[in-house]
Amino acid sequence: MNKENIKAFLLETINKILKKKGSKPIETLDEGVSLRNDLGFDSLDLAELTVRIEDETGIDIFEKGIVDKISEIMERIGVNE
Amino acid sequence: MSKLFLIDPKRGIEKTYHEFFKDIENIRFINKVIKASTPYEVFLMLVRSLIEGIVVDLLDSDLSESEIQRLGIDEDMSAQISLKSVSVPDSETFFELIKAGAKSWKIGLYTSGTTGRPKKVYHTFASLTRNVKTGDKYADNVWAFAYNPTHVAGVQVFFQALMNENPMIYVFDMEKSEIPNAFYNYGITNISATPTFYRTVLALFDKPVLSVTRVTLGGEKYDPNLENEIKRVFPNAKITNIYASTEAGTLLTANQEYFDIPEDRKNFFKIAEDGELLVHVDYLGESTELVLDGEWYHTGDIVELTEEGKIKFIGRKNEMINVGGYKVNPNEVEEEIKKLDFVLDAYVYGKRNQVTGNILVAEVVLKSNVENLQDVETAIYRHLQNNLQSWKIPRIIKFVDEVKLTRTGKKVRR
Repeated sequence: MNKENIKAFLLETINKILKKKGSKPIETLDEGVSLRNDLGFDSLDLAELTVRIEDETGIDIFEKGIVDKISEIMERIGVNE
Repeated sequence: MSKLFLIDPKRGIEKTYHEFFKDIENIRFINKVIKASTPYEVFLMLVRSLIEGIVVDLLDSDLSESEIQRLGIDEDMSAQISLKSVSVPDSETFFELIKAGAKSWKIGLYTSGTTGRPKKVYHTFASLTRNVKTGDKYADNVWAFAYNPTHVAGVQVFFQALMNENPMIYVFDMEKSEIPNAFYNYGITNISATPTFYRTVLALFDKPVLSVTRVTLGGEKYDPNLENEIKRVFPNAKITNIYASTEAGTLLTANQEYFDIPEDRKNFFKIAEDGELLVHVDYLGESTELVLDGEWYHTGDIVELTEEGKIKFIGRKNEMINVGGYKVNPNEVEEEIKKLDFVLDAYVYGKRNQVTGNILVAEVVLKSNVENLQDVETAIYRHLQNNLQSWKIPRIIKFVDEVKLTRTGKKVRR
């Protein structure tokens, strides 16, 4: 998968989780957005996100410690500019 | 001014011990099966039943009808007991009343249930307060209450706080982003919670909380990776790891992942040939439903004995899946999914992750006449959200052609 595809996948995955929570989807990957504070992710939401990302990319985003900002996730999966 | 008893910011509840005593006086009836809607009500009913010295059962407040049916409760849910009138003018009287009631009080808590339905285990005041410490040293403690109040760990934290007349700040289901402020504002000194709880909230603290002197972890396997993060946020805290179960209450404590068996408790523990930890019946709560092997109870936990005689937990023997400290029986979840008329079969397993230990994944086999998978997925989630507690709901659903079975027709548990 190229960087654009991974980003699209990340956006789609976050929105899938937001939909389940009954929250509004986000339109873009705003790097400063905090999963917990801004999107209201709880531990199960975070767990689902990390598993879906790992299934797709083989990368465990929490392996080297906890991430919270979208920019940090992009860094871990290597699609930050 | 009377000491604070409970602050539950989410529900706007704030009570002093004096108000708590007054509310106790005003209760005239109590349900034999307690299913309260707020943590305060749980504490109130718990203590009122204790003062009365009666036998009650305690249920989660969010259990659905079908979950309650599966528990197979043999009591009449609506049965009420009328109470003797009681006067609680001060703390001294309060503790005398508790002491008197404790002799005959029992509380039934439900285990997560390995196979089939969960088992009810009765605890006494003595078994629940086995590890409660009181005295001047603990008089000024302020507790962050971070467990479900109807589960054994929550009940134990409650008694630790109550017996010292400490305030409790209910953070268990508080908005995560508000938790750090609760710590800064209320001068919290003690917290006991699951590793998952710490993993979820610690990142939100942007400055250390110096007031915390004791951090306890329990309910899941110890996570050594958490230690640095705990030290960053709570630099003055001593870290304790605890091994407890609904069957026995608190069993062992450790500074890290190696548990010491105290000299005076050595006879209560034994390790089977396959590494499973066995606990002596005298150390357990009272239940007619637990299966014993002679005088020994099989914990289902596989442990390793070190050369120094300490034990380390390796994993679970049975198939229960630990999701953020909650043990989920995959059979129960599969049963619920299979109630949907378009589902042929379902298989639920845990998928490892660093946040909650496991999350549930369901493989679902549909009957052939299904067209729109997106709608089907939504329908499954909706059904599960109405019928299961949140941690029992699979977060990922995969549609497959068949579920793998063993030769005896059982599902292959990975």
